[in-house]
Amino acid sequence: MSKEVFSQISPSEFFYRNRDLAGFSNPTRSLYTSVREFVENALDACDQKKILPDIHLSIKAVDPEKADPKHYILTVKDNGPGIDSEHIPLAFGTVLYGSKFGLKQARGMFGLGATMAILYGQITTNKPVTVKSCSDGKTIDEFVMLLDIQKNKPVIQKHTTKEGSKTGLAVSIVLEGDYSKAGSKIRDYVYQTSLITPYATITFEDPSGEKFHYARIVKDMPRPPTVIKPHPHGIDVETIRRMITDTHYQIPTIDNKMIDKVKKELSLKKNLTPKEILERAQKRWSDISRPVRTVISVMSFLNIDFEGLKKIRIDDIDIANKTITFWDFGESQTHAVDLDPESPYYKQLASTVQGDTLLTFLTKRFQRVGPTTAEKFCEFAKFKPDKRIGSMTNEELVKLADALQKFEEFLAPDPSCLAPLGEEPLSKGIMKFFNPEFAAVWQRNASAYSGFPFVVEMGIAYGGDIPPSGLKVYRFANRIPLLYDEGSDVVLKIVNETEWARYKIKGDPPLVIVSHICSTRIPYKTVGKENVADRPELERELKNALQYLARKLAVHMSRQGAADMAKKRANLYSKYVPLIAQFATELAGKKKEPNYNQLIRMGSEIEEQV
Amino acid sequence: MRLKNKSNAKTAETRKKRLLSLLEQQGISIYDHLDKGKFPQFVIPSRSVSNIVYDKKIRQYILGSASAVRSSRNMSQLRSYTQLAWLAFFVNRLVREGKSSTLRDIYYSSQAFSIDFEDQPESDNIIVDLEAVLTSPREEFHIFPEERSSVFGDLTIEYTVPGYEGKRMNLSDHPDGYLIGPSLSSAELVDTSAELVIAIEKGGLFTRFVEEKVHKKFKAIIVDTAGQAPRSTRNLLRRLNSEMGLPVVILADGDVYGEHIAMVIKSGSANAAHLRELTVPDAKWLGVWATDIEKYKLPTIPMTESDIKRIYDLQKDPRYQEGNWKKQLEVFLKLKRKAELEAFSKYGLTNITDKYLPAKLEESKSF
Repeated sequence: MSKEVFSQISPSEFFYRNRDLAGFSNPTRSLYTSVREFVENALDACDQKKILPDIHLSIKAVDPEKADPKHYILTVKDNGPGIDSEHIPLAFGTVLYGSKFGLKQARGMFGLGATMAILYGQITTNKPVTVKSCSDGKTIDEFVMLLDIQKNKPVIQKHTTKEGSKTGLAVSIVLEGDYSKAGSKIRDYVYQTSLITPYATITFEDPSGEKFHYARIVKDMPRPPTVIKPHPHGIDVETIRRMITDTHYQIPTIDNKMIDKVKKELSLKKNLTPKEILERAQKRWSDISRPVRTVISVMSFLNIDFEGLKKIRIDDIDIANKTITFWDFGESQTHAVDLDPESPYYKQLASTVQGDTLLTFLTKRFQRVGPTTAEKFCEFAKFKPDKRIGSMTNEELVKLADALQKFEEFLAPDPSCLAPLGEEPLSKGIMKFFNPEFAAVWQRNASAYSGFPFVVEMGIAYGGDIPPSGLKVYRFANRIPLLYDEGSDVVLKIVNETEWARYKIKGDPPLVIVSHICSTRIPYKTVGKENVADRPELERELKNALQYLARKLAVHMSRQGAADMAKKRANLYSKYVPLIAQFATELAGKKKEPNYNQLIRMGSEIEEQV
Repeated sequence: MRLKNKSNAKTAETRKKRLLSLLEQQGISIYDHLDKGKFPQFVIPSRSVSNIVYDKKIRQYILGSASAVRSSRNMSQLRSYTQLAWLAFFVNRLVREGKSSTLRDIYYSSQAFSIDFEDQPESDNIIVDLEAVLTSPREEFHIFPEERSSVFGDLTIEYTVPGYEGKRMNLSDHPDGYLIGPSLSSAELVDTSAELVIAIEKGGLFTRFVEEKVHKKFKAIIVDTAGQAPRSTRNLLRRLNSEMGLPVVILADGDVYGEHIAMVIKSGSANAAHLRELTVPDAKWLGVWATDIEKYKLPTIPMTESDIKRIYDLQKDPRYQEGNWKKQLEVFLKLKRKAELEAFSKYGLTNITDKYLPAKLEESKSF
């Protein structure tokens, strides 16, 4: 048997080896992905600081005479908050350094993409990345640096500072790309990003020098997302276990640091007897923290002072048998002491060990669960509301997790962690971009799949400047346009399953659908993040949104139909009444035709009798 | 010689005047509506099954009182309203100018006036609509079907068609008979020596009858109905009966269809319930009866299922509820066999004229 060699690789190396996964498989895709990552980072940065984004993207060939694929300089400049000088090397010179770890909606997930783009540029051209940042409105820091792939460390080649007047960030990389192939996708991306970000001004200068400028349409930024507690439906057993143990309800580790904390909270300067310590604690009980209360309680039962506390280690507090077990370092043996349930400290220890009641746990640790809902849930799950969560067995935890999934009376997840665009900006964007004869938008209420909240926003536009070339679907997720892998996407599936004839839509209609899914976690099918999986909850929301909008469109089409009918009426009466007049004149033996103009007018105006 | 009774009968000329007057009234009504900014409309007696009733007094099917309004106010009726107005206009020209047309010709003529009929059935329907509005058969509009039947015998007519006005002709001059077409239909019936009209279902036997000089032997005018008699033929039969006072007898195949051919000549069809003057209420069905099949030992063929179904259908018809009509249906149903007029050939080619016809004519005096 040969011996296997295990060695650790750095995150940089891992991504270098697996760059296909992150969308850097070839020069075409890589150029597009790099554009996306930098633009999205810029927009996210502005969103977080409520700055109306002003993004400038440019792609320039290093040698325009050469054939694709060739080296391009990609520069993305924003008016965001910039990054503190001290963080820049780490932020752009290490993989897995980011601030986007939390339960809220953001375009990129971990901030990996930008570093990947830098990494890709460095691999293909061996050129450094240039980062210019101004975070205080006074000084611009410029870094030129490379990435040490093995060590996952930045290598700064140059750092200069100069005076500046506005905050912002500009990142520039040199990479191998194929603009002749990626160009249309990049232009689509910029166009669609502008559509879903109507509060941003985006300018794109392509390699030929042509400028695509999308000016801000609305001046109000959507409400920024907030970080929130989890929703009960999104929870599994493992998550509950972690939620129970990662709290301050544990028995604190009693070390010197802890003892100092106790002394500080009791304002103890000198050593006191156990009794004196307890007296002092009694006086300040309501001011001292929970861990300190727990330590005091332990001291009361063991009747020891701080010196004594240093010589032991608490092993177990057994509420069922009312004993406390500890290891005495000096004697090297285990002792057990009975707990007096009458003692006021007993309750403190018991509640610490056993944790909160289920009722408290539910209301405190989950979003949108109030006491009434929590009680209903307990009844539903057949748990006593005052059951201590710390005392639950494994089976009970499974039962709890199961019941949390099944209970249907929880309110929908708090959408405050989501940042949908909103109906008005979406509508304005659609009007500006397509100038349709009819448009409608709808933002659905928040829903959840597996406890991850999501909101579906959808818009429909018909006629006007939209070419009659069939239905076009613009897909967005967390304000990112999805351009690849359209066929397998859930939105496309819903649209294709719709019987458009029912909504008076036939043939190749001048029809545009804009779909925006916001979620703390978009259920992408692939790592490339281009198509959304068909989760039933998501499918239902999309379907409802589409049906609602399609019905509105049908009403419009009916009205349009009525107008067409009126036109048809007018044509018919103009055609037939003169004929009737001609026939009647000869029949009646008259010379002059009757004056029938009034009748033509009346015929055109009659309301259709149903 | 028998002279027609001018005081009783409507002559071709008076019928034409009546029609032109009706058309003019319609024209004036439409004209005035248009002039006053009102929507003109036609009132068309309803021809739906529920509005067709049998009138025992005049012994034919007639339309009830229900009628439909075709209004130019209703957009979905505007087109057919215009078609009907056009037809009235076109018929007015035909009648005034003494021109004839056919159902098919009407369909094609419409195109010259931007009146677009989808197909001929649509224009045929409009023609029936106008018949109903004016309660006149299309033959009076000078519109004829393509198929024609024939007449032969001593009957003098006087043409009214342009170019032949006043010209007389005797219908026994040509042994093939004369087509009952537009000019014959519009001609005045002047005089005849005949005492009887024999309507016969088949062209073959019509020729035989002429050859056998039935017209002389029986002093008869022979009419070939060519199956179910066209309306122009029925109209002629009626005129021969009412204007010339000739009794009409009918010979048809010995089956349920033959019986019904006789019935339609006698009392009309549901299809023409909107029209009068197409029936000969006193016409007599000579045969071939079901009872004749046994009586004359005629060779037979079995009835088909549709023959039998037709008997059941006719048994529901109010005209078949009594007398010989009812009896013969029952016998046909019992026999489930039928005989054609040609069946008499088994006993010799002249058997039908020598034996059967005289016998039946004799018999007919008693019913």
